[in-house]
Amino acid sequence: MIGLAHTGKTFRGRDGAEVEALRDVSLSVADGEFVAIVGASGCGKSTLLRLVAGLVPASTGTVTLQGQAVTAPREDTAMVFQAPTLLPWADVLRNVTFPLRLMGKAGSDTEDRARALLATAGLKGFETKLPSELSGGMQQRVAICRALLQNPRVLLMDEPFGALDALTREEMSLELLRLWGERRMAVIFVTHSIPEAVLLADRVVVMSPRPGRIADIVEVGLPRPRSFDQEGSDEFQRCARRIRDRIFGERRAAAA
Amino acid sequence: MLLLWEAAVHAFGIREFILPAPSAVWTATIAVWPTVLNHTLATLVTVLLGFAASVVISLPLAMLIAASPAISAALYPLLVVTQSIPKVALAPILLVALGANELPRIIVTFLVAFFPLVVASVAGLLATPPELIELGRACRAGRVQELVRIRLPYAVPFVFGGLKVAAALSVVGAVVAEFVGADAGLGYLIQTSMAFFRSPLAFGAVLILAVMGILLFQAVALTERLLFPWSSGAQTGAPPAA
Repeated sequence: MIGLAHTGKTFRGRDGAEVEALRDVSLSVADGEFVAIVGASGCGKSTLLRLVAGLVPASTGTVTLQGQAVTAPREDTAMVFQAPTLLPWADVLRNVTFPLRLMGKAGSDTEDRARALLATAGLKGFETKLPSELSGGMQQRVAICRALLQNPRVLLMDEPFGALDALTREEMSLELLRLWGERRMAVIFVTHSIPEAVLLADRVVVMSPRPGRIADIVEVGLPRPRSFDQEGSDEFQRCARRIRDRIFGERRAAAA
Repeated sequence: MLLLWEAAVHAFGIREFILPAPSAVWTATIAVWPTVLNHTLATLVTVLLGFAASVVISLPLAMLIAASPAISAALYPLLVVTQSIPKVALAPILLVALGANELPRIIVTFLVAFFPLVVASVAGLLATPPELIELGRACRAGRVQELVRIRLPYAVPFVFGGLKVAAALSVVGAVVAEFVGADAGLGYLIQTSMAFFRSPLAFGAVLILAVMGILLFQAVALTERLLFPWSSGAQTGAPPAA
């Protein structure tokens, strides 16, 4: 279980001025739960992810994983970035196994597991290709395989489909749900897309900017497995409208 | 171009010591070929040793500079100083200090060639995308692992950009050194030929130098393609030649 209790983060800018990125965020994510985080740019979504990843320390409050304070990156946490962030000199297979090799945890079965994982992600036959030979969607698939190969307890995704075209994005969303369904790790998924958040998540955390705070948490009552057919359902529309109201309502209030 | 040159020399009756025709250059060079070959080999040795010195010294230097802003602040001004001093001025001093042997020539070659290599390598080491560094940190990589497994490979295309510039500049450096103090080499050959208005032979030496530069450049490019095939197509940032 992931727990944030009154967590805040303040950065010191280049000019010495302090920027409060997050204030008093309290959230807990259960094992195997899929939580999406939506909000306008600058609402601290990515910062929240990096706090859970142990990449940046919290300024106030605590971040815990399975009851232990997160002070550094952990082996049971994996991250997927907006850019595929693949090593340009390594082929697909070596990219997927890179984290395990880096952590000295690669075993004799690592390569076989990587091949199997790539196959389930539709990348069979691309094992020896270089990233530059793949499309953007395929590169991001490799990045997701790389994260999944670590068998993480927690998967952190920072707008993973943000750089993809709309069609690839929809396809990848369903694929992600399938892969998650087989493994059931906790996922924190940062996105700009409200429909994407509703389609994927058990709960959607709506954040408001400057400083980043939790404005609302929306429970998505759609049955699983999810599909795009559900977009027309009343529950989907209710969730999407509520999230939209939270985000744009805040903006209207700020503009008034 | 050679034909145009040949034709122009004959058509306008240009005198040989001002601009020799390609045919005259060829004849003059072939006539003393064993001597020319000796000079070429002498220059090649200086070029290769100077280039090798640049590589061996520049890469660790670049790693130091990239590793810490403090070291960078301390070293960069010194490096710039070495670049601001004209090597032609430095060469005689080195010659007196180190004696009339190969060493001062190698040092001059190195001084001319190493700077762009350092600059390009530092740029490469610092150009690693922050996400890649974050990926390394998320995988609990230490600083050494980060350097060896992420930053260094990422810098390879940049390093090769610098190597190509350094290869061409090594030829320049070697000739500068030979102009000042040498009893062999193509630079020496050019100087002695011109002293006797033997322009065709001097032109021949210049052409051999050009070919040497091209071959060295191509050798670097070929090495890159063979050893790092992914690098050739990658974006590189070679700085302008000093």
